[in-house]
Amino acid sequence: MEDRDILEIMHSDLQRALKKPRNQRRWGMAIDLKKCVGCHACTTGCMSENLTPPDIHYRPVKEEEIGEFPNVSMRFLPRPCMQCDAPTCTPVCPVTATYKRDDGIVVIDYKKCIGCRYCLVACSYGARSVDVGHYYTGDMKGETYEVENSGEYGKSFKRKTHWHSPIGNARKCHFCSHRIEKGELTRCTTTCLGHATYFGDLNDPQSLIVKLIAKVNVFRYKEEMGTKPLVYYIV
Amino acid sequence: MELIGVILPDKQRLVSVIADILKGKGGIHLYLFLIGLVAGFYGIAAIFIKGHAHTINTSNLVPWGMQISTYVYFALLSTGCTFVNFFGHVFFEEKYRPFASRIIFVGIITAVAAFFSLATEMGRVDRMYMFLVSPNPTSPMFWMALWYSCYVCIITVEYINIQRGRHSVRVMWGAFFIAIITHSTLGSLLGTVSSRVYYYSALMPIYFLFIAFLTGCALTTIIAAHTVKIKRLDEAFHLTPFVILLKVGLGLALLITFWRTMTGLAGRLEGSEVFSLTLINSFVFGIVVVIIVPYLLLKMGKSADWLMFVGGFIMVTQLKARNDLVVGAFKIPVFRVYEMPEIVHYTPSVYEFLVVAASTSLVALLYIIFNRSGVFDVNTGKEVN
Repeated sequence: MEDRDILEIMHSDLQRALKKPRNQRRWGMAIDLKKCVGCHACTTGCMSENLTPPDIHYRPVKEEEIGEFPNVSMRFLPRPCMQCDAPTCTPVCPVTATYKRDDGIVVIDYKKCIGCRYCLVACSYGARSVDVGHYYTGDMKGETYEVENSGEYGKSFKRKTHWHSPIGNARKCHFCSHRIEKGELTRCTTTCLGHATYFGDLNDPQSLIVKLIAKVNVFRYKEEMGTKPLVYYIV
Repeated sequence: MELIGVILPDKQRLVSVIADILKGKGGIHLYLFLIGLVAGFYGIAAIFIKGHAHTINTSNLVPWGMQISTYVYFALLSTGCTFVNFFGHVFFEEKYRPFASRIIFVGIITAVAAFFSLATEMGRVDRMYMFLVSPNPTSPMFWMALWYSCYVCIITVEYINIQRGRHSVRVMWGAFFIAIITHSTLGSLLGTVSSRVYYYSALMPIYFLFIAFLTGCALTTIIAAHTVKIKRLDEAFHLTPFVILLKVGLGLALLITFWRTMTGLAGRLEGSEVFSLTLINSFVFGIVVVIIVPYLLLKMGKSADWLMFVGGFIMVTQLKARNDLVVGAFKIPVFRVYEMPEIVHYTPSVYEFLVVAASTSLVALLYIIFNRSGVFDVNTGKEVN
């Protein structure tokens, strides 16, 4: 492993990937569960980045119980969208509002989504939420900071009323696609206290993430379902 | 084509019916449905004005709630009416004919009421045009919408044909097959969701068709029994087909419910425990109350009043059964971790109940008004090919 800071390495990996055409990149994430201390900094960072309302967390950190009594242990389990290569959520969308991009990210077109919630039902990881229009204040009109443009997908969306997208739409983690386009790492990667989150191009054999997931102590959640997730967990 | 007086009520008779209602001569049940409709519209208006956040109890863990189950319920009722119309025409011609226009009319309005309920669940109902602009052929929901549109069109043609006294066997067969395609597609909408074991089954499309047949039989039995009473027709002669069809419906429902439960119980997939979790409800309610009790009730009497009661009993229990089916899939979260509840509970809000009231009242009121306007008595009909 190089002597440079992990973030610096991933940043140069990102810059290298961005020089390639989009269809030659394949963004992926690796989360080292041994390093995760359950500080929820990634959750908080994600919320402030994407201005998510109270009941929507793109990147919650769950506590998982492993084993059976008396051999039980617990671990923290950050759960972003798995950006599956064979997603169960995209084929069911009746209006192609959600789809997998060439670079592997599963996105939602807020201008197309009809809010039928079929993708929420179909997602194998519960990684999707529907924005019904809650505000932290509990009112029907949110505070200024709640209705500001989140900049998700590099577009302008203000949650002014329940007739303004993304209210009424399905929402999910999109690997901070708007940040990636600007050459920045995902917010959860940069805010992680223990540097437990790795991000990079899975098509780049030189990238840090590819080196990490090549090891044996790596698993993908619910891999047996055939969804081919692009988020790897290191244990 | 004559529209007023044949397809729609005659203006003078309609005015007279409305005048009677305004004078307080509408009958207690009509006013109850009227109150239900007003309250239901209030609920729907509140959902659209206040938004889902302040009116609906569904969540990210329970994305589909009572409005979807109500949609399913009414869609199945509509299919059932089309099935009964088909079997009635094919097997019971003379016995069935006095009820044909009523039943197919109810088939249309239940289909409309189903959409009514569905619309309130959609986050952005104003974007329904996306089905045309940006269709996704891999989605069962897209196909369901497409076939549903065809279905409403063809049963409307069937109704027009019956009303004009030019009943077409071809259209009837077409309506029957399109009903099968449409509502098995609706079943596949749930049956293809591999992440929810409670839904995921090849039996689901067939389950929907069989249950549609049962609920349709129940509703059409009420319509037929009511008509027999009002028109003073021979009860034994005209109601026999409905009793037979109801028994067949109960048998089919028993078969499919039993095997769906058994297949689920035998599963060792992640989330399969939902079947054992809901086992008592599945057997006590889903089989005993919903199927066996109505069968025993049917054995106890065949009078018009009794059949209306049995039909009503099946319809009420089926509404709960549809809710159990739709919501049951969310009882166990797909991502099970420590802070996640082991069993997810969902209680519909008042507004969600009001949507049910709106859909039910809409169907009942439209039927009562059309019936009193005498539009269904226009033609006894003749067959054309």
